[in-house]
Amino acid sequence: MDIDLEKMLAKVKASQWALADIDWDAPGAELITDEQWPKLKAFMSDLMWIEHVGARGFAAMARKAEDPMLKEMYTYFHAEEQRHANAEMALMRRWGMLEEDEIPLPNINLRLVIDWLDTQSDRMPLEVLGSVIPMLEVALDGALCTFLLEQVDDPVCHDAFKRINDDESRHLGVGFHVLEMQGHGKAYRLGLNFMGTVLNPRLIVGIATYLPLLSRMRDNVAAMGLPEEKLYKAMNKYERIGGRTADGRRNPWFQLISRHGRLVADRGNKLYHVPVDAMVKLTDYYPRALLRPVPTWVKELTYKTAA
Amino acid sequence: MSAVNGHAASKQAASASRRARKTPAARQAPVLDVAIIGAGFSGLGTAIRLREQGISDIAILERGDDVGGTWRDNTYPGAACDIPSNLYSFSFAQNPNWSRGYSGSAEILDYIHHLVDRFELRALMRFRHTVTGMTFDEARGVWTIRVAGKKNVHARCVVSAQGPLANPALPNIPGIDTFGGKTIHSARWEHSYDFAGKRVAVIGTGASAIQIVPALAERVDFLKVFQRTPAWILPRPGYAAPDWNKTLFEKLPASQTAFRNALFYAHEAMATGVIWNTPVTRLLEGVAKAFLRHQVPDAWVRRQLTPQYRIGCKRLLVSNDYYPALMRDNVKLYTWPIDKICEKGIRSVEGIEHQVDCIVFATGFAVSKAAAPFPITGVDGRRLDDEWSRGAMAYKSVNVAGYPNLFMALGPNSGPGHNSALSYMEPQIDYIVQGIQTILEYDLRALDVREDAQAKHNAQLQKRLAKTNWNSGCASWYLTEDGFNATMYPGFATQYKKQMARFVNEDYRAIRYEPEFHERWMRND
Ligand SMILES: Cc1cc2nc3c(=O)[nH]c(=O)nc-3n(C[C@H](O)[C@H](O)[C@H](O)COP(=O)(O)OP(=O)(O)OC[C@H]3O[C@@H](n4cnc5c(N)ncnc54)[C@H](O)[C@@H]3O)c2cc1C
Ligand SMILES: [Fe+2]
Ligand SMILES: [Fe+2]
Repeated sequence: MDIDLEKMLAKVKASQWALADIDWDAPGAELITDEQWPKLKAFMSDLMWIEHVGARGFAAMARKAEDPMLKEMYTYFHAEEQRHANAEMALMRRWGMLEEDEIPLPNINLRLVIDWLDTQSDRMPLEVLGSVIPMLEVALDGALCTFLLEQVDDPVCHDAFKRINDDESRHLGVGFHVLEMQGHGKAYRLGLNFMGTVLNPRLIVGIATYLPLLSRMRDNVAAMGLPEEKLYKAMNKYERIGGRTADGRRNPWFQLISRHGRLVADRGNKLYHVPVDAMVKLTDYYPRALLRPVPTWVKELTYKTAA
Repeated sequence: MSAVNGHAASKQAASASRRARKTPAARQAPVLDVAIIGAGFSGLGTAIRLREQGISDIAILERGDDVGGTWRDNTYPGAACDIPSNLYSFSFAQNPNWSRGYSGSAEILDYIHHLVDRFELRALMRFRHTVTGMTFDEARGVWTIRVAGKKNVHARCVVSAQGPLANPALPNIPGIDTFGGKTIHSARWEHSYDFAGKRVAVIGTGASAIQIVPALAERVDFLKVFQRTPAWILPRPGYAAPDWNKTLFEKLPASQTAFRNALFYAHEAMATGVIWNTPVTRLLEGVAKAFLRHQVPDAWVRRQLTPQYRIGCKRLLVSNDYYPALMRDNVKLYTWPIDKICEKGIRSVEGIEHQVDCIVFATGFAVSKAAAPFPITGVDGRRLDDEWSRGAMAYKSVNVAGYPNLFMALGPNSGPGHNSALSYMEPQIDYIVQGIQTILEYDLRALDVREDAQAKHNAQLQKRLAKTNWNSGCASWYLTEDGFNATMYPGFATQYKKQMARFVNEDYRAIRYEPEFHERWMRND
């Protein structure tokens, strides 16, 4: 995925939209069935939080990127993910899922990830987030959003997600480009750097929060009726696109994450799923007192088109 | 200039021929000895020093209708100098009465008015004269200066003192014309606009913004501050000057000079951390970060306000009240990129329309780093715009080869990052005065810096600049788009002063009037 960053940045700038471009009071909200409503509420709330967490990830990457063009690109992506979260909140609001200034509550696994991002993400090398984020995005783009649009008939939802998906396609384009860029170079050097980072306790904590989050998300979407295979097929796209070039394949982070993707998809692998599922359950008992206060970047979320 | 130095009797002859040339000139357009463009600190200071040397056939062309330059134009709430007033004033006209360490713009403007009165400069002023270009006539040794809507002005020597930061710049944001509310640029403040109860956005977080935000926060209903890149901010030791201090300075001017010198060297010391990457740089960054931590309790906002470039790479700011202003309930900092301006406000990339009554552009100035301030045509029709298209270059920031008898104040590579602009301006002025004296005394048609001297000077300059923090990778108004540094001087003010102390004749070509030409000119054909 060799792209011209300069052209891409110009395209990003030329493709902006705002919440005010959408008529949130247009007819169609009534198309949500009573049966859908509670599940949709849980689904949207997770989705919106993933966007928001992705936003924070891009903020960290904007710090780390050395190329000024990439830096600016990530600064935009940070804001765009925030826009997605805002738009999804506006949809929830439209569907009567949010009171006045209510912000949906993040589940405990999200809380842990937010905690980790807030304290650690700025210290992670670019490769880590640069490799994880495309995985989250293929899953989001290829499975969650597609599934949502199959289930929901509200035209306003379709309008919003058309814009969101357009943004995502650019995120993915840049994401895979960077994944390959980072696989460029001597394998042993990449390997050494990789080993240095992967053994970093901060990252190990990060992984320990990421694994159960993924499984919890899978359970949540499954509860909504998304066939698991669809999720795995979408995740497989990561391996397909990321592994197209030798550079991409040489990136040890790509190797780690795509292998992990396979593990997640392989429900028969008890060695992986039993402990991780246990972690999901365990985190339910995670003492809330140990959580740090919600960072203030979370309070920037809004469903309002104008402020 | 060895050709000139030998002429012993030249001085008398020169002034005789000068007088003679002026008689027929009355029938033609009059030719001034010196035209100065701009009535800010530089232009006025040059006029004062020229007159002290007996050169008085001067006009100051000023596009505005008052003197003061920067301090006439920058009257926004909170406007003040960020170099102590005792240092930000002329050494030859110290003011014992500064009311505070860092005076506000009105007090600085008063000081400038006081200079005009004390040195009787009013008679030289030609207000509402906007210079649109100028051309050198080699045969006559005269610059023709074009003035918008007025007759051309002719002068043997020109001092271009039109200010490095005189032309307000608006950001390149789409839709800027579609905004339905009020827009104000910091350097063109409209005092009649009532901010009470208004929702206001400030775009920019540079030197002007950090002064405007605290002052405006007190007046408005809500203030939104849009930041692209945070600046390094140091605490500033502001103080009101006690009366005994003023009395002391008045009674004992030497004590003020001593204080001024102490301030000067304190700022010079900053250069070691600001200009070059040294342990002092780390130290200053540490101080700035501790200051930020002290004033901004929230970790996320602190992150937004922490610069990612080395201190000194962009202009270093000082303020005690900017961070606290951002912490107010009616002020909020935004770091989302701006997508566009629309009828009701600003749309940023997080998808929200920030609706406001007024947008304040604290977005600085168009700095001509890669173009002449206005079209300037030198010998053989060469154009300064062409020569500077890849970055402005001069000899000691004052002269440019091929443009004889033209002197620039605060020209290329004359900017300080750590000290008063006036510490650089004064040696320039004295150097310019020496140049003009040479032209008039030896009755030169042209005094032109040699290309090779200029090239050598710039080669050294750029070599030294490459090692500075300015050239360490951040984008700033110091650099051209290609990263060429055409604005800053890579060294201490003391070094700069030393380089300007002597007018180096050998670096110039001097051309006198040939007798044949002179007679022709006298016959007026
Ligand atoms: C807000 C602000 C704060 C500053 N604070 C400091 C500080 O604390 N310390 C410091 O050292 N420096 C400071 N500076 C830098 C400041 O610009 C210089 O210190 C100094 O005032 C420059 O003086 P000048 O005479 O060269 O230019 P100016 O003061 O800008 O004067 C130039 C004059 O030329 C006129 N002019 C421009 N173009 C034309 C034309 N084409 N025809 C006719 N006239 C023209 C202008 O109208 C203006 O009057 C500050 C600058 C700004 C903008
Ligand atoms: Fe997104
Ligand atoms: Fe995305």
